[in-house]
Amino acid sequence: MNLMLHAPSQLEKVAFMALAAGVLGFALVTVTRKSAVGALMALVGAFCALAGLYATLSAHFLAVLQILVYAGAIMVLFIFAVMIMNRDEDNPIALRGLFLRATGVIATGYVFYRAAWIVVRERQTDVLSTASTLPIPDYGTVASVGRILFTDFLFPFEAISLLLLAAVVGGVLLSRPSRPSDGGGAI
Amino acid sequence: MPGYLYILVSLALFFIGTTGVLLRRNALFVLMSLELQLGAGSLALLTFARGLGDQKGHVVAFFLMALAAAEAAVGLAVVVSVYRTNKTIDLDGVNELRN
Repeated sequence: MNLMLHAPSQLEKVAFMALAAGVLGFALVTVTRKSAVGALMALVGAFCALAGLYATLSAHFLAVLQILVYAGAIMVLFIFAVMIMNRDEDNPIALRGLFLRATGVIATGYVFYRAAWIVVRERQTDVLSTASTLPIPDYGTVASVGRILFTDFLFPFEAISLLLLAAVVGGVLLSRPSRPSDGGGAI
Repeated sequence: MPGYLYILVSLALFFIGTTGVLLRRNALFVLMSLELQLGAGSLALLTFARGLGDQKGHVVAFFLMALAAAEAAVGLAVVVSVYRTNKTIDLDGVNELRN
Protein backbone atom coordinates (compact mmCIF):
# COMPACT_ATOMS: atom_id res chain seq x y z
CA MET A 1 0.00 0.00 0.00
CA ASN A 2 1.19 3.47 -0.85
CA LEU A 3 2.33 5.22 2.31
CA MET A 4 2.89 8.55 0.58
CA LEU A 5 0.18 10.94 1.69
CA HIS A 6 -1.11 13.89 -0.21
CA ALA A 7 -1.12 16.90 2.05
CA PRO A 8 -4.75 17.90 2.70
CA SER A 9 -5.69 21.14 1.03
CA GLN A 10 -6.52 24.22 3.05
CA LEU A 11 -10.22 23.98 2.18
CA GLU A 12 -10.31 20.34 3.26
CA LYS A 13 -8.78 21.29 6.63
CA VAL A 14 -11.25 24.13 7.19
CA ALA A 15 -14.21 21.93 6.23
CA PHE A 16 -13.10 19.13 8.54
CA MET A 17 -12.50 21.49 11.47
CA ALA A 18 -15.86 23.22 11.02
CA LEU A 19 -17.78 19.94 10.71
CA ALA A 20 -15.99 18.30 13.64
CA ALA A 21 -16.60 21.36 15.82
CA GLY A 22 -20.25 21.36 14.69
CA VAL A 23 -20.75 17.69 15.54
CA LEU A 24 -19.16 17.94 18.98
CA GLY A 25 -20.71 21.31 19.85
CA PHE A 26 -24.23 20.26 18.86
CA ALA A 27 -23.78 16.94 20.68
CA LEU A 28 -22.77 18.79 23.85
CA VAL A 29 -25.82 21.06 23.52
CA THR A 30 -28.04 17.98 23.03
CA VAL A 31 -26.77 16.34 26.20
CA THR A 32 -26.87 19.44 28.39
CA ARG A 33 -30.07 21.17 27.24
CA LYS A 34 -32.96 21.36 29.65
CA SER A 35 -35.84 21.57 27.17
CA ALA A 36 -36.49 18.54 24.97
CA VAL A 37 -37.29 20.62 21.86
CA GLY A 38 -34.01 22.53 22.07
CA ALA A 39 -32.08 19.30 22.49
CA LEU A 40 -33.86 17.81 19.46
CA MET A 41 -32.96 20.78 17.27
CA ALA A 42 -29.33 20.48 18.38
CA LEU A 43 -29.50 16.75 17.58
CA VAL A 44 -30.64 17.58 14.02
CA GLY A 45 -27.65 19.95 13.72
CA ALA A 46 -25.28 17.27 15.02
CA PHE A 47 -26.59 14.71 12.51
CA CYS A 48 -26.35 17.16 9.59
CA ALA A 49 -22.73 17.96 10.53
CA LEU A 50 -22.08 14.21 10.87
CA ALA A 51 -23.46 13.72 7.34
CA GLY A 52 -20.97 16.39 6.19
CA LEU A 53 -18.15 14.39 7.81
CA TYR A 54 -19.36 11.26 5.97
CA ALA A 55 -19.23 13.23 2.71
CA THR A 56 -15.63 14.28 3.37
CA LEU A 57 -14.86 10.56 3.76
CA SER A 58 -16.38 10.21 0.24
CA ALA A 59 -19.26 8.15 1.60
CA HIS A 60 -21.84 10.08 -0.42
CA PHE A 61 -24.58 7.46 -0.27
CA LEU A 62 -24.36 7.20 3.52
CA ALA A 63 -24.25 10.99 3.88
CA VAL A 64 -27.55 11.37 2.04
CA LEU A 65 -29.06 8.44 3.95
CA GLN A 66 -27.93 9.97 7.24
CA ILE A 67 -29.91 13.13 6.55
CA LEU A 68 -32.93 11.22 5.22
CA VAL A 69 -33.12 8.67 8.03
CA TYR A 70 -31.84 10.56 11.09
CA ALA A 71 -32.76 14.18 10.42
CA GLY A 72 -35.95 13.03 8.69
CA ALA A 73 -37.53 9.84 9.99
CA ILE A 74 -36.05 9.44 13.48
CA MET A 75 -36.50 13.14 14.29
CA VAL A 76 -40.22 12.91 13.43
CA LEU A 77 -40.54 9.99 15.86
CA PHE A 78 -38.80 12.00 18.58
CA ILE A 79 -40.93 15.07 17.94
CA PHE A 80 -44.08 12.97 18.29
CA ALA A 81 -42.76 11.55 21.57
CA VAL A 82 -41.97 15.07 22.83
CA MET A 83 -45.49 16.18 21.83
CA ILE A 84 -47.01 13.36 23.89
CA MET A 85 -44.95 14.02 27.02
CA ASN A 86 -43.79 17.60 26.89
CA ARG A 87 -42.29 17.95 30.30
CA ASP A 88 -39.02 19.66 31.06
CA GLU A 89 -36.92 18.17 33.78
CA ASP A 90 -36.79 20.01 37.08
CA ASN A 91 -33.09 19.43 37.45
CA PRO A 92 -31.43 17.79 34.44
CA ILE A 93 -28.55 16.21 36.33
CA ALA A 94 -29.66 13.78 38.99
CA LEU A 95 -28.33 14.50 42.48
CA ARG A 96 -29.35 11.12 43.84
CA GLY A 97 -26.51 8.69 43.36
CA LEU A 98 -24.36 11.47 41.99
CA PHE A 99 -21.21 9.93 43.41
CA LEU A 100 -21.84 6.65 41.58
CA ARG A 101 -22.64 8.45 38.32
CA ALA A 102 -19.59 10.71 38.64
CA THR A 103 -17.45 7.63 39.18
CA GLY A 104 -18.93 6.12 36.03
CA VAL A 105 -18.24 9.24 33.99
CA ILE A 106 -14.66 9.49 35.27
CA ALA A 107 -14.09 5.80 34.48
CA THR A 108 -15.47 6.14 30.93
CA GLY A 109 -13.44 9.33 30.51
CA TYR A 110 -10.30 7.42 31.42
CA VAL A 111 -11.15 4.58 29.01
CA PHE A 112 -11.69 7.06 26.17
CA TYR A 113 -8.50 8.92 27.09
CA ARG A 114 -6.55 5.66 26.78
CA ALA A 115 -8.30 4.84 23.48
CA ALA A 116 -7.47 8.29 22.09
CA TRP A 117 -3.88 7.85 23.24
CA ILE A 118 -3.62 4.54 21.34
CA VAL A 119 -5.15 6.10 18.21
CA VAL A 120 -2.69 9.00 18.31
CA ARG A 121 0.23 6.61 18.87
CA GLU A 122 -0.78 4.44 15.90
CA ARG A 123 -1.55 7.36 13.59
CA GLN A 124 1.18 6.47 11.09
CA THR A 125 -0.31 3.09 10.19
CA ASP A 126 -1.90 2.58 6.78
CA VAL A 127 -5.46 2.33 7.98
CA LEU A 128 -5.42 5.46 10.12
CA SER A 129 -3.77 7.75 7.57
CA THR A 130 -6.38 8.11 4.84
CA ALA A 131 -4.82 8.81 1.46
CA SER A 132 -6.36 11.48 -0.69
CA THR A 133 -6.62 9.24 -3.75
CA LEU A 134 -9.75 7.12 -3.94
CA PRO A 135 -9.29 3.32 -3.94
CA ILE A 136 -11.73 2.98 -6.86
CA PRO A 137 -13.24 5.81 -8.93
CA ASP A 138 -16.86 5.27 -7.86
CA TYR A 139 -16.06 4.68 -4.19
CA GLY A 140 -19.07 5.26 -1.90
CA THR A 141 -21.59 6.02 -4.64
CA VAL A 142 -25.09 4.55 -4.70
CA ALA A 143 -24.19 2.26 -7.59
CA SER A 144 -21.12 0.69 -6.06
CA VAL A 145 -22.44 0.37 -2.47
CA GLY A 146 -25.75 -0.95 -3.84
CA ARG A 147 -23.95 -3.60 -5.87
CA ILE A 148 -22.28 -4.98 -2.72
CA LEU A 149 -25.53 -4.64 -0.78
CA PHE A 150 -27.45 -6.78 -3.27
CA THR A 151 -24.76 -9.39 -3.94
CA ASP A 152 -22.63 -10.19 -0.88
CA PHE A 153 -25.08 -8.84 1.69
CA LEU A 154 -28.40 -9.85 0.18
CA PHE A 155 -29.41 -12.11 3.06
CA PRO A 156 -28.57 -9.59 5.84
CA PHE A 157 -30.42 -6.96 3.81
CA GLU A 158 -33.59 -9.05 3.75
CA ALA A 159 -33.12 -9.95 7.42
CA ILE A 160 -32.86 -6.27 8.37
CA SER A 161 -36.06 -5.50 6.46
CA LEU A 162 -37.76 -8.21 8.54
CA LEU A 163 -36.29 -6.61 11.69
CA LEU A 164 -37.70 -3.23 10.69
CA LEU A 165 -41.13 -4.79 10.12
CA ALA A 166 -40.95 -6.43 13.56
CA ALA A 167 -39.92 -3.09 15.10
CA VAL A 168 -42.85 -1.29 13.50
CA VAL A 169 -45.34 -3.91 14.69
CA GLY A 170 -43.75 -3.94 18.15
CA GLY A 171 -43.85 -0.15 18.35
CA VAL A 172 -47.54 -0.07 17.48
CA LEU A 173 -48.31 -2.85 19.96
CA LEU A 174 -46.34 -1.21 22.80
CA SER A 175 -47.68 2.30 22.39
CA ARG A 176 -51.32 1.22 21.97
CA PRO A 177 -53.38 2.23 24.97
CA SER A 178 -54.37 -0.83 26.97
CA ARG A 179 -58.07 -1.56 27.11
CA PRO A 180 -59.23 -3.54 30.11
CA SER A 181 -61.83 -5.38 28.00
CA ASP A 182 -59.41 -7.36 25.81
CA GLY A 183 -56.77 -7.95 28.44
CA GLY A 184 -54.68 -5.03 27.21
CA GLY A 185 -52.13 -4.93 24.43
CA ALA A 186 -49.62 -2.88 26.37
CA ILE A 187 -47.65 -4.24 29.27
CA MET B 1 -7.51 14.54 6.22
CA PRO B 2 -5.73 11.75 8.10
CA GLY B 3 -8.09 9.11 9.40
CA TYR B 4 -6.97 9.23 13.02
CA LEU B 5 -8.54 12.67 13.39
CA TYR B 6 -11.89 11.19 12.36
CA ILE B 7 -11.44 8.40 14.90
CA LEU B 8 -10.70 11.01 17.59
CA VAL B 9 -13.90 12.89 16.68
CA SER B 10 -15.79 9.58 16.80
CA LEU B 11 -14.34 8.79 20.24
CA ALA B 12 -15.25 12.24 21.56
CA LEU B 13 -18.79 11.92 20.20
CA PHE B 14 -19.17 8.47 21.77
CA PHE B 15 -17.91 9.85 25.07
CA ILE B 16 -20.44 12.71 24.98
CA GLY B 17 -23.18 10.16 24.25
CA THR B 18 -22.05 7.91 27.10
CA THR B 19 -22.01 10.87 29.50
CA GLY B 20 -25.57 11.69 28.45
CA VAL B 21 -26.74 8.11 29.00
CA LEU B 22 -25.11 8.03 32.44
CA LEU B 23 -26.09 11.46 33.73
CA ARG B 24 -29.49 12.33 32.28
CA ARG B 25 -32.57 11.01 34.06
CA ASN B 26 -35.17 11.84 31.37
CA ALA B 27 -35.69 8.75 29.17
CA LEU B 28 -36.04 10.90 26.02
CA PHE B 29 -32.60 12.42 26.53
CA VAL B 30 -31.13 8.98 27.16
CA LEU B 31 -32.52 7.81 23.79
CA MET B 32 -31.09 10.91 22.07
CA SER B 33 -27.67 10.19 23.62
CA LEU B 34 -27.95 6.60 22.35
CA GLU B 35 -28.48 7.96 18.83
CA LEU B 36 -25.31 10.04 19.24
CA GLN B 37 -23.40 6.90 20.21
CA LEU B 38 -24.69 5.05 17.15
CA GLY B 39 -23.63 7.98 14.95
CA ALA B 40 -20.14 7.82 16.46
CA GLY B 41 -20.01 4.10 15.62
CA SER B 42 -20.98 4.76 12.00
CA LEU B 43 -18.32 7.45 11.70
CA ALA B 44 -15.63 5.03 12.90
CA LEU B 45 -16.89 2.34 10.48
CA LEU B 46 -16.77 4.73 7.52
CA THR B 47 -13.31 5.98 8.50
CA PHE B 48 -11.88 2.47 8.63
CA ALA B 49 -13.69 1.60 5.39
CA ARG B 50 -11.95 4.54 3.74
CA GLY B 51 -8.61 3.61 5.26
CA LEU B 52 -8.89 0.01 4.06
CA GLY B 53 -10.36 1.01 0.69
CA ASP B 54 -13.18 -1.48 1.26
CA GLN B 55 -16.84 -0.59 0.86
CA LYS B 56 -18.16 -3.32 3.16
CA GLY B 57 -17.95 -0.79 5.99
CA HIS B 58 -20.50 1.32 4.15
CA VAL B 59 -22.89 -1.62 4.01
CA VAL B 60 -22.48 -2.26 7.73
CA ALA B 61 -23.05 1.45 8.45
CA PHE B 62 -26.22 1.18 6.35
CA PHE B 63 -27.41 -1.74 8.52
CA LEU B 64 -26.50 0.26 11.62
CA MET B 65 -28.75 3.05 10.38
CA ALA B 66 -31.69 0.64 9.94
CA LEU B 67 -30.94 -0.71 13.41
CA ALA B 68 -30.98 2.82 14.85
CA ALA B 69 -34.38 3.44 13.26
CA ALA B 70 -35.76 0.20 14.74
CA GLU B 71 -34.26 1.06 18.13
CA ALA B 72 -35.80 4.55 18.07
CA ALA B 73 -39.23 3.18 17.13
CA VAL B 74 -39.33 0.50 19.83
CA GLY B 75 -37.53 2.64 22.44
CA LEU B 76 -39.92 5.56 22.04
CA ALA B 77 -42.91 3.19 22.13
CA VAL B 78 -41.62 1.79 25.42
CA VAL B 79 -41.13 5.32 26.79
CA VAL B 80 -44.67 6.30 25.77
CA SER B 81 -46.01 3.13 27.38
CA VAL B 82 -44.08 3.85 30.60
CA TYR B 83 -45.39 7.42 30.56
CA ARG B 84 -48.96 6.14 30.29
CA THR B 85 -48.66 3.88 33.30
CA ASN B 86 -46.39 6.00 35.54
CA LYS B 87 -47.15 9.57 34.37
CA THR B 88 -43.40 10.18 34.41
CA ILE B 89 -40.41 9.32 32.25
CA ASP B 90 -37.92 10.09 34.99
CA LEU B 91 -35.74 6.98 34.98
CA ASP B 92 -35.19 7.23 38.75
CA GLY B 93 -38.96 7.06 39.23
CA VAL B 94 -39.43 3.91 37.16
CA ASN B 95 -38.66 1.23 39.73
CA GLU B 96 -41.71 -0.96 40.16
CA LEU B 97 -39.66 -4.09 39.49
CA ARG B 98 -37.48 -3.30 42.49
CA ASN B 99 -39.84 -4.03 45.37
